[in-house]
Amino acid sequence: MYRIRIDRDRCIGCLTCVTACVVSHETESGDARNRVVIDSETTPAPIFCRHCNKPECTYTCMTGAMHKNPETGFVEYDRNQCASCYMCIMSCPYGILKYDSIRQKEIMKCNMCVHRSADGKTPMPMCVEKCPMHAITLEEVKE
Amino acid sequence: MRYVVIGSSAAGINAVRELRKTDRDAEIILVSKDRNIYSRCILHQYLSGERTLERLNFAEKDFDTVYNVNWMKGREAVSLRPGEHVLVLDGGEEITYDRLLVATGSHTFIPPIKGLAGATNYIGFRNIDDIEVLKEVPKTAKHIVVLGSGLIGIDCATGFLHMGVRVVLVDFAGWLLNKQLDERAAKTYIDAFRANGVEQYYGVGVSEVRVGGDHKIYEIELSDGTVLPCDFFVVTAGVRSNVEFLKDSGLELSKFGLVYDECGRTSDPDVFGAGDVSGLSPIWPVAVKEGMVAAANMAGRNQKMTDFFASKSTMSFLGIHTMSLGMVTPPDDSYRVDVYDKNGVYKKVVSRDGVIVGALLQGDLAYGGVLQQMIARKIDVRKVKKPLFEIDYSDFFHEKANLEFAYEL
Repeated sequence: MYRIRIDRDRCIGCLTCVTACVVSHETESGDARNRVVIDSETTPAPIFCRHCNKPECTYTCMTGAMHKNPETGFVEYDRNQCASCYMCIMSCPYGILKYDSIRQKEIMKCNMCVHRSADGKTPMPMCVEKCPMHAITLEEVKE
Repeated sequence: MRYVVIGSSAAGINAVRELRKTDRDAEIILVSKDRNIYSRCILHQYLSGERTLERLNFAEKDFDTVYNVNWMKGREAVSLRPGEHVLVLDGGEEITYDRLLVATGSHTFIPPIKGLAGATNYIGFRNIDDIEVLKEVPKTAKHIVVLGSGLIGIDCATGFLHMGVRVVLVDFAGWLLNKQLDERAAKTYIDAFRANGVEQYYGVGVSEVRVGGDHKIYEIELSDGTVLPCDFFVVTAGVRSNVEFLKDSGLELSKFGLVYDECGRTSDPDVFGAGDVSGLSPIWPVAVKEGMVAAANMAGRNQKMTDFFASKSTMSFLGIHTMSLGMVTPPDDSYRVDVYDKNGVYKKVVSRDGVIVGALLQGDLAYGGVLQQMIARKIDVRKVKKPLFEIDYSDFFHEKANLEFAYEL
């Protein structure tokens, strides 16, 4: 499967990836599905969904809205099935999830920008495309 | 190999998935009282009409076909003879198994309230059948009283509120959601329910229900002497595990429920357990994981439960969102309590010696998942130079070779 490699040494915290995420998803609230935080040593840390092998967000989802696609390995989210219970926000070990800031209904969940591809399953993350430092790159990894 | 799984909720369904993933050819039989797969956590949305039965389904639409399962729906297990590997169903039908998973969940506990045993107009809030009954209740009942203000009781109250029906809440505890919230966080909900016309009585029990000649409750008396009119009574005062059918099986049972280890093994080597039937950690993610772990072990793959942190929940009643983790009210003043309380956002972190033991987030839950890890893993956070409410993954950042994140370095 594909994951986004994060090279913190290259990241300058410019937030271009966050902007790219907002643009790619055209979410009503303008919320991003990724974030860049600063650690206690003032070094930026891009925090992106890992589409985990054992995704806590899917185990805790009581509606099936959050589920792992066995073919692509991506953890997909169906906002129409979601009950907005927020258990996934609590369960993500890395603090990547939040709800949209206007309606507080939809979980801001990375989909690897598969919606940008013709077949709807090829990852085309705009954050990776736009990063001026190549701090984030798309790579094929073993699950 | 023939696997039999009893129960079609979080534990049972995820066990079937895991069994099929491990063993393509095995015969899998799923036995369930439920005729449909549905999520009990969102029954209040079925009550209010926000969700149809189909949209309560948390699994694949054609689950039994996808996983090639012989699903015996609407069937109940009545006894077990582990020595012979025989499970007896209602009607006396016997089915044999090589490995059995007991994921039968729990049922509503009906407390021994004076008068209640002879009444007909009361029910729990647990199964789809309960909700089918409750959907019709407001057509005839004017005074619905809900006993218990835990997550289920409040689910029930909000489901009715969406229908325009105002119930009366009664709880022995000092405030609602007593297990999850401190007094401050609870007050937000108490005020909101009051503003929505929901009468609430805390710190009192129901000492008696008065039943008329038609076997129907017409009023209830509280422990402080208050008498309330009541023409329907909903009981959400805890649950008991579904182990009645095991009482002559010889399997080890505790006073809470079925006893099994971190691999799901019971006292019989071919019988496993998962989910609420243990009577220990009645939350969705624990049931899912126990189901998966038990199934892996049933199929011969050694796996263990590692996540024992179960005092956690989120809620979003009346548009107010809260996350509750661990111990939210410290027992003495040896704990440090960090509080933020401004503009509808209340955050509280309880810690001792640099280790967070509890947290409450209300009004803003964004990225709160890191706090659970700090508590569950007992991570020393003294190196983090930011307010504990704003703790994030940056200070623990570690990318594995397969580009997953991890905490252990």
